Amino acid sequence: MIDVANAPTVTRPQIRIEGAVKSFAGRVVVDIDELVLGDSPIEGLIGPNGAGKTTLMRMIMHSAKLDRGKVTLRRGPEEDVEEVVLSDLPTHRMAGLGVVKSNQVIMDFEKLTIWDSLLLSLAAAKYEHPHRIFSEAPLFEAHAEEAREYLDFFSFADPTGFAQSAGEKKLLDIVRCLLLKPRFLLLDEPTAGLPDELTEKVMEAIRRLASEGTSVVIVEHDLNVIWSISDEVHFMAEGNIILRGPPQTIRENRTVVEKYLGEGHV
Amino acid sequence: MNLDWLDAFLLFGTFQVVMVIGLALLLHLQLGLARIANFGVVGFWAIGAYAFGVLFTKVDWSIGEPWPFLISMLFGTVVAGLAGLLVGWLIADLEIEGVLVGTLGFATVVAILVTTERGLTGGALGMGGLSFPFDIGKTKANELLWFGILFVVVGAIFYYVWRVHRSPYGRLLIAVGDNEPLARSLGKPTFQTKLWLFAIGSAGMGLLGAINGVMVHLLIPEGIGINVTLAAIVGLVLGGTARVWGAVLGVILTVGFFDIVVQSYLPLPRSWYTQAIPVLREMVFGAALIIVLLVRPFGILGDMRRDKLIRSTHRD
Ligand SMILES: Nc1ncnc2c1ncn2[C@@H]1O[C@H](COP(=O)(O)OP(=O)(O)OP(=O)(O)O)[C@@H](O)[C@H]1O
Ligand SMILES: [Mg+2]
Repeated sequence: MIDVANAPTVTRPQIRIEGAVKSFAGRVVVDIDELVLGDSPIEGLIGPNGAGKTTLMRMIMHSAKLDRGKVTLRRGPEEDVEEVVLSDLPTHRMAGLGVVKSNQVIMDFEKLTIWDSLLLSLAAAKYEHPHRIFSEAPLFEAHAEEAREYLDFFSFADPTGFAQSAGEKKLLDIVRCLLLKPRFLLLDEPTAGLPDELTEKVMEAIRRLASEGTSVVIVEHDLNVIWSISDEVHFMAEGNIILRGPPQTIRENRTVVEKYLGEGHV
Repeated sequence: MNLDWLDAFLLFGTFQVVMVIGLALLLHLQLGLARIANFGVVGFWAIGAYAFGVLFTKVDWSIGEPWPFLISMLFGTVVAGLAGLLVGWLIADLEIEGVLVGTLGFATVVAILVTTERGLTGGALGMGGLSFPFDIGKTKANELLWFGILFVVVGAIFYYVWRVHRSPYGRLLIAVGDNEPLARSLGKPTFQTKLWLFAIGSAGMGLLGAINGVMVHLLIPEGIGINVTLAAIVGLVLGGTARVWGAVLGVILTVGFFDIVVQSYLPLPRSWYTQAIPVLREMVFGAALIIVLLVRPFGILGDMRRDKLIRSTHRD
């Protein structure tokens, strides 16, 4: 296993959320005064259903528009930090900045095969201009190896065909994210619906990514995953982060037990 | 060259078929891949024709042929492309109903402008003076050569579309049409993609409009009705929106069948030609469309088969 916490020091990107409010139909769903994500390599984000975890992630991606407030990405070496205000940018700019999110609800391209999906994810804009009608070969040449590694690692049944089961689609969603080479990866229940051995593989891939300097935030209801993989855990309830700390502390905290875990969990 | 064997009507009918195939192929990129329902095809087509005509006939050219002709062709193409950029910008983020109304409305606006801007377009009287950029003898010979040029242009469009299916650009268009939020989250600038697709498609439609204008010599408002749009859409949907060959097959079966077989070879009463035939044509098209959509919702050739394509292009 890779020892993430003691990996050589790299400057990890951070995301700072300030005074961020989001409401749907007049009901406030997320209201966060101040939150910094990315202090630790892998951070868990837990909380009851409807706490606002997915919405918070969508606010970071700016696929949900903020009512007010600001989301900032901080990256680069300590002495020369670069700040980008994500909440001023369109969603499609996030991937280019290395900010990537997987989807809780299954999202897929029905008309594209698994190979297509991977090549789409891998293709930089220069390959996709309308006049570049001969760029499939160079794209394949440059990236097929990478795609193949993931296809083998996760042992997809027939990558030239379409993703069949819900699990396969879920996995494909994660692989698409990984191929974007994220610097800040948000995972929204990545292992829900996956068989155990694949959950293990996904976790292994995430650990590897984190050890290479990517900041990971993971939402999961499977708490065994959270306790085992997170360096730090945020507990969210009613649109707010009410606690953060090492997994062990969160696990034993009264509020968390009352609001989420239920008695007898510890 | 003796061209007696060539029926003028047949030549004209075939010209129409090939021209509509060109329109349907361009529409295929928009509707079949990116799922943008462009109901304003004739608008871009007409803009190309009139922009070409205005520049070609109204300007006192001091340079010799073929430059005025070629420059005017290019002008028609570019103006149609710019119109596409503008319309695309207005509709790219709308729901399907909005796109429908927007593009349809655009074509209507073009038709109105053509009728009212008499100084430029000749209004209802029409705009003449569009002649072939060459003269190789008989009218029929000139028309045949012009048909050959159209054939090359549409052939090039076909090749482009065929290549797009096998390129990352095509994959991007399919992704945008299939699941736009997901494409966006993968870093794809979906709005911009749709905008450029609209501009390129419209430019191509404009070029075809200008080429058609030269063939018919006279641009009149009646020539830019919804029937042009319908011919392209019905043909494409019938053949299969998502398939390259769908446009070709569908248009041959509809426009080809009607404009060539029915009009040229069926012994229809002469008096039908102006009144009854256009109505009959729309009725037959509509009926064919309904039947095919009931029996084969994805058209005769069926839905896209990326699995087959991927297997054949990336054979290991
Ligand atoms: N697009 C939307 N329109 C209306 N309400 C929404 C929308 N998205 C989320 N909500 C509401 O916002 C609240 C928070 O939802 P969110 O999906 O962020 O919760 P979550 O913490 O991810 O829950 P879960 O653990 O069930 O995934 C819920 O009450 C939900 O019904
Ligand atoms: Mg959620």
